[in-house]
Amino acid sequence: MITKTADIIVAAMLLCLGVIVGWDSYRLGSGWGPEGPKAGFFPLVMAVVAIVGCLVVIRQAMAGTSSVKGGKLFVPAGGMKPVLTVFIPACGMILLTEVVGLYVAAMIYLAAYIKVVGEYKWSTVLLVSIPIPLLFYWVFEKIFLIPMPAGMFGAQILRF
Amino acid sequence: MDILTNLLLGLKVAGEPYNLLVAFAGIVLGVIVGVLPGLGGANGCAILIPVTFVMPPVAAVILLSSIYWGSLYGGCICSILFNIPGEPWAVATTFDGYPMAKNGQAGRALSAAFFAHACGAVLGTIALTFFAPLLAAFALRFGPPEVFGVMLLTFSAFVGLVGKSPVKTLVATAFGFIMASVGIDIVSGELRLTFGLTPLMGGFNFIVAVIGLFGIGEILLTVEEGLKFEGVKVRMRWSDITSTFTDMRRYWKTLLLGSFVGVWMGFKPGGATPASFMAYGFAKESMPAEDRAQFGKGHVAGIFAPESAAHGAGTSAMIPMITLGIPGSPTAAVILGGLMIWGLQPGPMLFVDKPDFVWGLIASTWYGNLFGLLVVLAFAPAFAAVLRTPFAILMPLLIFICAIGSYAVNNRMIDIWYMMLFGLIGWAFKKLDYNMAPMLLALVLGDMAESAMRQSLIMSQGSLLIFLQPPITLPLVIAAAVIGSWPWLAPWVRRMRGTEGGASAGH
Repeated sequence: MITKTADIIVAAMLLCLGVIVGWDSYRLGSGWGPEGPKAGFFPLVMAVVAIVGCLVVIRQAMAGTSSVKGGKLFVPAGGMKPVLTVFIPACGMILLTEVVGLYVAAMIYLAAYIKVVGEYKWSTVLLVSIPIPLLFYWVFEKIFLIPMPAGMFGAQILRF
Repeated sequence: MDILTNLLLGLKVAGEPYNLLVAFAGIVLGVIVGVLPGLGGANGCAILIPVTFVMPPVAAVILLSSIYWGSLYGGCICSILFNIPGEPWAVATTFDGYPMAKNGQAGRALSAAFFAHACGAVLGTIALTFFAPLLAAFALRFGPPEVFGVMLLTFSAFVGLVGKSPVKTLVATAFGFIMASVGIDIVSGELRLTFGLTPLMGGFNFIVAVIGLFGIGEILLTVEEGLKFEGVKVRMRWSDITSTFTDMRRYWKTLLLGSFVGVWMGFKPGGATPASFMAYGFAKESMPAEDRAQFGKGHVAGIFAPESAAHGAGTSAMIPMITLGIPGSPTAAVILGGLMIWGLQPGPMLFVDKPDFVWGLIASTWYGNLFGLLVVLAFAPAFAAVLRTPFAILMPLLIFICAIGSYAVNNRMIDIWYMMLFGLIGWAFKKLDYNMAPMLLALVLGDMAESAMRQSLIMSQGSLLIFLQPPITLPLVIAAAVIGSWPWLAPWVRRMRGTEGGASAGH
């Protein structure tokens, strides 16, 4: 995909977002109320600015006067694969967190990532992926008393 | 003199053993955070804000600001050794720093960068110490219209002067304000922009936005080039440091110019990045021809200029933060957010109500920066080695740490998802020239700006003329209008003056 297409798509999405925001602000009331401007006034002004701005961006992109080089590839060749290799497992870890809690999910995520992407031996994998989340658990949960998500079963797994 | 008395008070506060320890810890953490791509000063501070809940506010702000100075020092390590700018203002350093490193002069390049930072820090701290109280006294006369005028000027400076696309900056700023409005309206108590969805009721937290935009987004951008962080090996030798002293004596004008540009630009939001490029450009232009040819191939002044500017800007970004409540850089924005979380109202009243806090902070920048210089000189190779952790281990660890930081703010799972969403947004925006700093600033300042506007309109019974009142608001609004429309005015002005309007170098 070239940058020009991405530019237009992103601007179009922002435009829709601006319209939605503007509509909701209008519904809230954007005029003068008993205590000054109503709640919807400020967001509506911002939404209008955003909508006008996005229209200009789209026009610039189509006319080729945008500040980014439209013909350039949006992602360098072969670049999408590493990006997804980072993004998708990370989302997987967060999904796991909902189930087993952050620390256990991190252990699984680290282990899987180091093994599959890094292709290290199992001994290295376990040496890194188990103690480090445990260390963080000890520091954050026990010393700083800052709780992390425990998921549905996390409290049973980490009982100490 | 009043200022010196206050400074002595501050030094006494900042000199307490606990605060000294905290400053040292902050510097070390800051350098580590600055070295790692994906974690910058803003990010590191954001992640550690929940940790500061157990500390007294003075220690907390000393910790965060020490992390800030540390990250400023650390950012250049990454640029010079790995050709990866840890932060946007470190880009100019890669021009000459990385070639020098590849020529086997890595130690000399690093030492030059560190001392340049120290010079910028000195000038910035002097400005902070002597200029901030004056500005605070002046700002005490600000009412809601004046505050709104300052906000207008702040954001129009972004639109007009920073970044490559004024329109996109405007759009990003608008969305930042929109995000700030999501949730419960302060004045009327109504739910805004929540569409009946519970997660949106809490709104968007700026810490999560920072971690996502600047952290995850940066990681995604870096790995596009491949799943690796490769770097040049380095060992710091005494000869590197002594040769830097010689270099400093030779290029003192560059250092001074760079620091001055940095301090001047850092005052305005988003100033560090253009400051570093401007300083580089000025330094290059002011060199004799044979030196100029060396720029880009490894000239030491090509490091002196941007680095002193970047650190000067970083330091002076604190000035408007504590005096006006307007942060001059994303990291200052995070620290400002921290101040608000701790229950302190940044602005001129802080000087009056809590002088020990303010002056403790100012005093800590004096020795915090000194610590920073010593720490990086001594441990640069060690810090660089952190980056040589294999990618497959380092990367998931970074994401894990970011997730902890996002969750710790409000104990909501949705924040970790927001972090990934902001990461995507940051990645796409960076590629399309949408400037993220004003979006973040709008998120932090949105409530303040909106209530200033609403209070002003209530005061004036709905008349917009209140924003055009002399002596303070009117000049602010006029300046905002001029600066904001500068991209469209500039060619016209140039033509009027009769100079060539043609191809001019943008920021």
